Amino acid sequence: MPYTPRPYKITGIKNLADDVKVFRIRCSMNPSPGRFMQVSIPGVGECPLTSCSYDPKYVDLLVRKAGNVTSALFRLKKGDRVFIRGPYGKGFPLNKIQKKKLILVAGGTGIAPVTSLIGYIEKNRREFGSVDIYFGFKDEGHILLKDKIRGWRKKFNIVVCLNKRVKDKKCEEGFVHEIMGKHWKNKDNKDTLAFLCGPEIMMDCVTKELNSFGMGNNKIYWSLERRMECAMGNCGRCLIQDLYVCKDGPVFRYDLIKPKIENEKASNEDYKGR
Amino acid sequence: MQKILPKKELKSFIERLMKKHKVIAPVKESPTKFRELENSEDIKNLSLREITVLSPKQFFIPENEVLLEFKNGKVIDVRKNPEDKEKNRIIFGVRKCDINALLVLDKVMKDPLYISKRKKTIIIGLHCEAPDKYCFCNSMISEEGSEKGYDLFFYLHKDNYYISIGSKKGLSLVSGLQSVKGKDEVIKKIKNFRALNDKGIERSYRNKIWESDADKCLSCSACTVDCPTCNCFDIRDELDANLKTGRRVRSFSSCQLRSFSRVAGGKIFRESRLARFKHFVYHKVVYYKKHFGRYMCTGCGRCLRVCPTKIDWVNTINLLNEIKDADNKGRMKK
Repeated sequence: MPYTPRPYKITGIKNLADDVKVFRIRCSMNPSPGRFMQVSIPGVGECPLTSCSYDPKYVDLLVRKAGNVTSALFRLKKGDRVFIRGPYGKGFPLNKIQKKKLILVAGGTGIAPVTSLIGYIEKNRREFGSVDIYFGFKDEGHILLKDKIRGWRKKFNIVVCLNKRVKDKKCEEGFVHEIMGKHWKNKDNKDTLAFLCGPEIMMDCVTKELNSFGMGNNKIYWSLERRMECAMGNCGRCLIQDLYVCKDGPVFRYDLIKPKIENEKASNEDYKGR
Repeated sequence: MQKILPKKELKSFIERLMKKHKVIAPVKESPTKFRELENSEDIKNLSLREITVLSPKQFFIPENEVLLEFKNGKVIDVRKNPEDKEKNRIIFGVRKCDINALLVLDKVMKDPLYISKRKKTIIIGLHCEAPDKYCFCNSMISEEGSEKGYDLFFYLHKDNYYISIGSKKGLSLVSGLQSVKGKDEVIKKIKNFRALNDKGIERSYRNKIWESDADKCLSCSACTVDCPTCNCFDIRDELDANLKTGRRVRSFSSCQLRSFSRVAGGKIFRESRLARFKHFVYHKVVYYKKHFGRYMCTGCGRCLRVCPTKIDWVNTINLLNEIKDADNKGRMKK
């Protein structure tokens, strides 16, 4: 039965911010970066979550307390069980990124799938050119995965942007799309691909910035969030026009999904207040 | 080859079926609906002329269906539960549009609960004698055409039913009847009073004409409840009062409801009535076709019949063909 999840033990919990935790779960699923799992607690419900690590022995669920299931997850302790089915969806196009230069952009908890992709890159570092990473967070208290970021500073060009005034000199103040330009100067974008995950408004601004550097939408990938129930293309909840986020995505090449997102958005905006 | 059953003998034919199977058929009640026949009184009350308000969809995707059960933190697969074994059943009197609707659902619903129900059900179709002003099934015929979707199909002609055979299972039910071949067979076409021409729909998503329909829409979701192909659902957990046992239930949902696309944190992706209404129409006519090569809509007309504000989206689509400007910005009046 495809809806039946399997039980897994939580082997570690780490607080990252007031409302963000990482749950380590030992399992051999090793989802390809960008894919997601349906995590559930019996009696509460299911929710789609992504691993923020890339390791054959465990997954790290990065969870922001936002809804019923995530709130219930926050009450669990080390040793408790969660139920998982999956992984589902198409992740980042790993077969297309070899030998390419990469720009990775993430905002808030959008960091999860991108971090998993960085994990993959670290393991296969020789296959890639330069890797530029831009993370955006609300403020210093909301910087996620600080330890990992510290480690990456040695390996990649990484910029952490905060929306509020910055004390930490390693971080910059401003939105990601405002800051990218400074670091971009004179860079050649041939053979470059960009992977984005975060709030849609942020991905929108970043995409426009990338366009202004001369990157086409077919070089930009978005990882999307939508309401999901089944994760198998049955329930119809995650449709963006004719595309299922669960099985055609959640990672989409932007030029393919752009008109569909814009159409739906226009239908909301044209009809505002009515 | 067709088989012939005299009209007078229909009742005894159904009685015979009832001996071995659970038989479901449209019964005259208010409103007329498909339900299990229990006795000969029900057979007398068969309503074979009227179009039922609801299609037989409910017998394959129940309004609420248990996906799994849990007990003391353990998950139990429902298929291991012997009570869920369903009897073989026959649904009698299914119209062409509703048979097509099952073929549409077959391509989307891939879970064992649905598939086992489909396998255990024999479909006996019935030619539509009295389509009404809302029917447009001839416009939505599948291009594939190879799948019949029925086990038997009845055409009433004069005093006899002429029965087309779609499967071996079907044949076994009518093997005792007299056969006709070639010229003597009767196959009828359904007469429609309305047609749908979707030439202009794909380029017209942003056309203002949709707003006049959305203005009337109450987001009541009646169209999706009555639609024989709407299958969108919700999965929710029910916990018993002892907090130890419960179940995960799949239940009907509707894209017309505001909460349908709401994610944790509160963002609603199809916030406006306009976006939701268009999603319904485009899913039926455009989106599904891109994946599976046929219309999702089967032209049964139930959404038009049931709409409390009488939104006629079929007419709207037809009007779009006359608009030459692809992204017409002006507001159209119907």
